[in-house]
Amino acid sequence: MIVNFYLNNVEVSYSIKPGEYLAETLRRHGVKSIKVGCNESSCGSCTLLIEGKPMMSCSVLTASLEGKHITTVEGIQEEAAKISKCFSKQGADQCGFCNVGFALVIYALKREYKNPTDEEINNYIVGNLCRCSGLQSHMKAIKEYLKEE
Amino acid sequence: MKVNEYYRASSLEDAYRKLQEDPKNQIIAGGLWIKKIGQDCNALVDLSTLGLNKISETKDEVIVGSMVTQRDFENSNVIRSLFNDSLAFSVREIMGVNFRNIATIGGSIIGRYPFSDVITGLLPYDVSLEFYPEQKMSLEDYLSYKGKINAILVAIHIKKGSGKGFYKKVKTTALDFPIINFGIAKVNGEYRIAVGARPLTGALAHKAMDYLNSQSKLDQESYKKAAEIAAEELMLLDNKDASKEYRTDLVKVYVRRGLEEVSK
Repeated sequence: MIVNFYLNNVEVSYSIKPGEYLAETLRRHGVKSIKVGCNESSCGSCTLLIEGKPMMSCSVLTASLEGKHITTVEGIQEEAAKISKCFSKQGADQCGFCNVGFALVIYALKREYKNPTDEEINNYIVGNLCRCSGLQSHMKAIKEYLKEE
Repeated sequence: MKVNEYYRASSLEDAYRKLQEDPKNQIIAGGLWIKKIGQDCNALVDLSTLGLNKISETKDEVIVGSMVTQRDFENSNVIRSLFNDSLAFSVREIMGVNFRNIATIGGSIIGRYPFSDVITGLLPYDVSLEFYPEQKMSLEDYLSYKGKINAILVAIHIKKGSGKGFYKKVKTTALDFPIINFGIAKVNGEYRIAVGARPLTGALAHKAMDYLNSQSKLDQESYKKAAEIAAEELMLLDNKDASKEYRTDLVKVYVRRGLEEVSK
């Protein structure tokens, strides 16, 4: 079947299997920034934005996205650069596998909350599991990014 | 998972007709459970264009469309204004935001999952389910309904009332399923106690509720006694997450705490 949606504001039309999930579709079409970790709706590393909301792309059926807007890290380059700067400043960066999904979640957090409390931040990022470089440094980096204009 | 067709229903009637065509056709709500079990099916029926993703209210009740996501539910001002925000609380600890933006309230109820936080969270309130073809059933009746219901869940009706709720999910790690969960409320002066993940699906502790609601005066001792009655009457079992004995102790502690909390 054919599905049409907007990928980083560019209209795309893909031929897909009816039971296919978004992470698989996008990776097949060259969007390798999507990292599938657990592939069972748990780790959050495959997160991207659908209509601005973070969702695990391993668990969203591609066929359900007709006409929707999908944002990957390629679509938020400027903000991703700011996030990565905050992360490197805090030494909060290691292998990088989870960074993409994490960056999109942090980006969405900033848009959804004006001045989130620590609890709200934790609650928002708890669905992104791969945090090998430490919870404190991530928290510091996120807070620094949230302060930026 | 092998799927032959993805079908976007144009109306509830259309969705129902498609469902009747083949026993291997099924409704997708958020699609998470389908992913989890990975079972082959003929057609997946999509309800997302039928406007079932809205929360509305009348004078007496709040109506939650079955396709409302868990995230929209927890963020809804209408939901948060009910019973001291305890309904949203039951949803807030389910996985992460990127999961709750996909999972729907309808999908969380229709499967009658034993681990469900949504069911235990709603059970202490006056909640009924609206189906297509037209049929209405209380949430409690649906939980004990024998077999699979041949209808589509359209909306969840929550009756308004004055009072306070308490929700507790006992778990070992942040993203885990509950070892046991508790939904306790005092609405319009009446106590209700629900316990889920026993590891069986959520159920009301009727004997404990009757005891509390028949007392003319309640104190710490009565809450303690009610918790003991609940631990006695509810079927609690062993599984890999916890033993029956541990669950029994948890019921005694958290039911008492919940009752104290909603009585404040």
